[in-house]
Amino acid sequence: MKNSAQTFDAKVLSRISTLKMTAMNLVEGLLTGQHRSRHKGSSVEFAEYKDYSPGDEIRHIDWKVVGKTDKYHVKQFEQSTNLKCTILLDASGSMNYQSPLNGHASKMEYARNLVAALSYLLLKQFDAVGLTLFNDQVVEHIPPRSKASHLQHILHGLANISPQGTTRISEVLGGLAERLPRRSMLILVSDFLVQNQDLQKSLKLLCSRGLEVVLFHVLHPDEIHLPFEGDMVFESLEDDPTIGLDPQDIREEYQNAIQNHINSFRKDCNGLGVDYIFLDTSEPLDQALSYYLLKRKSLIKL
Amino acid sequence: MSLNFSSPLFLFGLLGISIPVLIHLLTRRQQKQIRFSAVYLLAQSQKRSTRKSRPNRLLLLLARCLAIALFSLALANPLFSFRQSEAFLPTSPASIVFVLDDSYSMGTRSKEKTLFDHAVEYIAKGLQQAPDSSEFSLVLASSPARVEQDWTSDKLTFANKLKTQTASYRTTNIGDAIDKSIKLLESAKQKKKKIILLTDLDKNGWKEEFFFKIEYLSPYPIQILNFSRLQSGNNKGMVQSIQIAQEFLTRSRLLRVKAQIKNFSSTVSRMPLSLFLEGKLVKEEFLDISPGQTLVQKFSYPLKRNQPLNGKVQISDDALPADNSRYFPFHPSQNIQVLVVDGDPKTISHQSESFYLERALNPFSVSLSHIDPTISTLSELPLRNLSDFSVVILANVRELPSDYELELEKFVLNGGALLFGMGDQVNAKYFNERLGNLLPVKLESQYQTREGALHLLLKNNTHPVMQAFSPKALEEMREINFYSMYTMQAREHKKFKVGTWFSNQHPAVIESEMGKGIVVLFLSSLDRDWNDFPIQPTYLPWIQRWTQYAARGLENISRQDLLVGEPFRQSARDSSWLVRTPDGTLHHLENDIFRDTFQLGVYHLFSLPGAADQKVLAKLPQGAEPAGTFTVNIDTRESEPGKISQKEIEDFLAGLELEFLEPQTQTARPQTSDGVPLATPFLLMVAGMLLAEGWMVRKE
Repeated sequence: MKNSAQTFDAKVLSRISTLKMTAMNLVEGLLTGQHRSRHKGSSVEFAEYKDYSPGDEIRHIDWKVVGKTDKYHVKQFEQSTNLKCTILLDASGSMNYQSPLNGHASKMEYARNLVAALSYLLLKQFDAVGLTLFNDQVVEHIPPRSKASHLQHILHGLANISPQGTTRISEVLGGLAERLPRRSMLILVSDFLVQNQDLQKSLKLLCSRGLEVVLFHVLHPDEIHLPFEGDMVFESLEDDPTIGLDPQDIREEYQNAIQNHINSFRKDCNGLGVDYIFLDTSEPLDQALSYYLLKRKSLIKL
Repeated sequence: MSLNFSSPLFLFGLLGISIPVLIHLLTRRQQKQIRFSAVYLLAQSQKRSTRKSRPNRLLLLLARCLAIALFSLALANPLFSFRQSEAFLPTSPASIVFVLDDSYSMGTRSKEKTLFDHAVEYIAKGLQQAPDSSEFSLVLASSPARVEQDWTSDKLTFANKLKTQTASYRTTNIGDAIDKSIKLLESAKQKKKKIILLTDLDKNGWKEEFFFKIEYLSPYPIQILNFSRLQSGNNKGMVQSIQIAQEFLTRSRLLRVKAQIKNFSSTVSRMPLSLFLEGKLVKEEFLDISPGQTLVQKFSYPLKRNQPLNGKVQISDDALPADNSRYFPFHPSQNIQVLVVDGDPKTISHQSESFYLERALNPFSVSLSHIDPTISTLSELPLRNLSDFSVVILANVRELPSDYELELEKFVLNGGALLFGMGDQVNAKYFNERLGNLLPVKLESQYQTREGALHLLLKNNTHPVMQAFSPKALEEMREINFYSMYTMQAREHKKFKVGTWFSNQHPAVIESEMGKGIVVLFLSSLDRDWNDFPIQPTYLPWIQRWTQYAARGLENISRQDLLVGEPFRQSARDSSWLVRTPDGTLHHLENDIFRDTFQLGVYHLFSLPGAADQKVLAKLPQGAEPAGTFTVNIDTRESEPGKISQKEIEDFLAGLELEFLEPQTQTARPQTSDGVPLATPFLLMVAGMLLAEGWMVRKE
């Protein structure tokens, strides 16, 4: 934990802490901050049932359930918050790309900082933040909480990521769509290097459930420009077959392909009303976040 | 199909292929491994990309290597042939007879070696590759063909036997050698049998009569390897023959050497011709001989002392050295042996025909004239050995013993001289019928003068016999009275010369050449029956000069000019004989015959008083006396440059499976006729490769 905390850029955290993220849409739940809500007053929102275990408070036992099922369940309640935000972080192997050419941070490092910064920001404005790590399935899920101490859980979850496996965003999103609270916020951080997956369909499903979706598309400059020289053997970080070639031969084609890939995402997101933010790990993270938050602020004022 | 190279050394240029390969390897970018995220995008891009630099680099390397390889091949001047190039020796165990032509034509030079050396090396190399269980035998194809090595599976023994072989001075006899090989193969152990003939295809070795004798027991395969292509030059010429004659001057003699030189080259050849006597160069002439022609060159050499001489005539060196010189022996100390056959012997000696002849030939009964006359009657004639004489004088002979004219013909053909004297006993009918081969003219009838005597007309003294006479002597001769003579009539197709004429315009002396010898016909008597000549002072020199003139064919004097392999015969009489060969070894003559005449040069004969006890001696024993020399020369028929054609060989060896091969050696230079030259196409391909290489470099 100590180690993982050290890896986060304090400068980034302090800078973005001055910025406040405001929700674009109205969210359900109590608004105690600057968020606007249809419901007034505060309340405790039922979160889920949990099997009774010794030590749990007896008053929280739901006797109605006991009467129906003859089993002891303890009611758990979400802390009241203005916004529930779930951050979905891609923990597949491709996120672990380390450049042999320059010292730019890996996508995973960059994404960790990003997620930590966003979590801090949201928690600071008393919004609930949860974290879900996935590759071809959900690897770890930290439910949204608005307690300030929850940041430690998030950071802990982030620190323990070991990127591996293949990416199956559509399947993961399809599975999660039912479980995510309606009209909450979903932040998806990934490199979106997936083949033949109908992401647009999954995004549509999320949007239809009233979720505000923000996509952070993180790519390393090497993945954009393919700056390598000489005969190279490219081994996949996921499960693609190894390929040997001279990057010079395909550089132009590759750059076109990746640009098409990005543009396609951007276009799809615009069409669905999804925020799409492309992040190049060579860009400072604070600049990218500042730019995005300022942009959102300006949109709210409108 | 086969590919030969005229200049195979240039094939080392193929090593140059390593240069582009090295450059390719040294400049090759290290293949780095990298773990990457968007590999599927790379794969998609690669599929769409048209640029493929790595295959280009390989193609570039291939083009450069091909360009260098083709350039080297082009310089090596490749010749492509559709003829099958098969293995020299079978790869499975076999019984193989090597028929090795060791005739002297195989001594033709091929750079530093001879064709024979190449053939021996070829067999030795082939042996190394042959399976161990194969068996080999060796037949030498020079005349007479002989089995030099019977069947053996021991390669080392066979190789050692091969090493001891050298080209002989004999002629070739392929037919006999193949006959012996076929008989050898009948006793071979292996099922697979083969004859390998290594020869220069000299036409002299392929005589029809030897092939008729061959008994084809089984149709064995014969592989014929023609080594004649390897010779580095041509046989420009040869000394075809030498005739030795001596001319008796008043107090000395002249040695006359007549050498026949043949030019084999296709251009007029200026050949230096040298006469060596006792190893010293004594005369040299330059001859211009037309292509294919034979020129006769005569040398005269005054003999200061009457000692035996051995010499040789030599022309300039060429590819075949064996026929460039020819040896001859000369024994001037020997007297001319004359057999006088008296056709009309009388009890009163001076009435005999031979009385005047004997005294004229040897007036002092000692050998001052170098003429030794032997008187014989007709009845004694068959007992005489004609080879002991150089000249036979038939004086007033009526008829010869039965079939003796054939002996005389042989005698003259071998270089003997035959002198006829007429007389009243002469039977013209017999002479005309039985001596037609010897006499160039027909005798008609006896002519007797009624009015005065006949005289000799001695107007032109150009005849060699008459040149020795002084004008005064000639004047005396003109006054000699001849009362009777034989008239004659020329025979058709016979050539003769008239030496002297009678005053009635009839010939007095007729001479004609026959073979190596000469026939002289004196148309009056050699005694006083028909003339006064025998009592004239000029009779003695006249008859001596005619005898000496006629005795020019010295084969009967020295008698010993043999061809390689011909046996030397010497009657033993009281002593035994030793022969020293040109290489210095001494041999006893066994049964009066010496057969080991296989070296060229002068053989020395020694007489020993005692009987022989050893066949071969290391040192000349004490008491051995020089008894003459004889020479051994090659049979020049082998020198003729004609080669037998494949078609002729197939005719000779019909029924046998024949295979013709050209031996490949390092010195071999294939002829353009051996195949299609590929140098130009290869150079064009080099140009094409360079263009392709340039295009690829530019594209990259």
